[in-house]
Amino acid sequence: MRRDVQILRAAINQKLIETGERERLKELLRAKLIECGWKDQLKAHCKEVIKEKGLEHVTVDDLVAEITPKGRALVPDSVKKELLQRIRTFLAQHASL
Amino acid sequence: MKMEEMSLSGLDNSKLEAIAQEIYADLVEDSCLGFCFEVHRAVKCGYFFLDDTDPDSMKDFEIVDQPGLDIFGQVFNQWKSKECVCPNCSRSIAASRFAPHLEKCLGMGRNSSRIANRRIANSNNMNKSESDQEDNDDINDNDWSYGSEKKAKKRKSDKNPNSPRRSKSLKHKNGELSNSDPFKYNNSTGISYETLGPEELRSLLTTQCGVISEHTKKMCTRSLRCPQHTDEQRRTVRIYFLGPSAVFPEVESSLDNDSFDMTDSQALISRLQWDGSSDLSPSDSGSSKTSENQGWGLGTNSSESRKTKKKKSHLSLVGTASGLGSNKKKKPKPPAPPTPSIYDDIN
Repeated sequence: MRRDVQILRAAINQKLIETGERERLKELLRAKLIECGWKDQLKAHCKEVIKEKGLEHVTVDDLVAEITPKGRALVPDSVKKELLQRIRTFLAQHASL
Repeated sequence: MKMEEMSLSGLDNSKLEAIAQEIYADLVEDSCLGFCFEVHRAVKCGYFFLDDTDPDSMKDFEIVDQPGLDIFGQVFNQWKSKECVCPNCSRSIAASRFAPHLEKCLGMGRNSSRIANRRIANSNNMNKSESDQEDNDDINDNDWSYGSEKKAKKRKSDKNPNSPRRSKSLKHKNGELSNSDPFKYNNSTGISYETLGPEELRSLLTTQCGVISEHTKKMCTRSLRCPQHTDEQRRTVRIYFLGPSAVFPEVESSLDNDSFDMTDSQALISRLQWDGSSDLSPSDSGSSKTSENQGWGLGTNSSESRKTKKKKSHLSLVGTASGLGSNKKKKPKPPAPPTPSIYDDIN
């Protein structure tokens, strides 16, 4: 079963990319996050982190480690719901394909 | 593909939901990563902290949220009631009217030069006509001064065709616009005849159609042969304005028109001679009879007399009578001025 699911997921991902839906979803998410102020909140958090660490010694890994969990948590529910809705729609559309 | 098809349709919703959630998580992760890369690049390139300003400046430019002010803190209609003092004429002018006033006041700008040119041209016209007069006593004549006063008052309300504000009326007072020209034309091709003095009427009627339009009550400013109005109308207008002695100045077709009523012109001429001094009658009757054959000769001569802009009405009538003999041409440009001068002494 897991294997099937995995294969299925791979197929769906492939479909997403092929139709360009993945790009569209990404753009949509980016726009929504900027709109709702998620980006600004995260930026403020970044500044604090950087000030802590020191401007010269910041690395990508540090930033990623610090920011990503916060970022995931800060996404508003409305944005999450909308995006999930779109994904489900896509899946439903392409279920027969 | 067949296998996926089968498995997809066979999957229950929870699995689909799980897949959806995973896809969503992937997308969010992508966004976060992208953001991290941006920040890291900004830090390393040195522009990350650029948008931070010191707190003092932040306070200065804070968004203002008070009633009556915009977000910059400025008052909305501050300049409406402001008055400026003109440096030229030292008058207090409203702010919104200041620029046009200054243009007129200083005599610079397109419109003021146009107005000035017109005034010069018209004052030249006026001076020329006045210099033809022998008698300076005429200036003290009551009728004349009253006419010019009436003209000056009415001119302000007439529209200036040179002004860019043709669609609006000239509301503001101008120091320089006191004596506008006497021939102020409206935008429409017509003149208000109430505002014209008798001399101007006469000169107008010799050059223009002059028929009064029913709707606008204005005189037509087109040529004497304008197709919109008939000769009858023109004659009616002239008779109305200048009395029964006024004659229709039909110049071009004068010689062609043989239907001119001889008896009428004779009656007119005799009346003219009677109105004028009796000394004139012998010479005039002779000369007038010779010019009878000309058809509208009467008309041509009266037009000349109008063109010389005689001030006294009876003088012009005399001029008409005497001019009959002198002019046998079509165009009314003969030496009319000499003839009246002879009779000045009589009057």
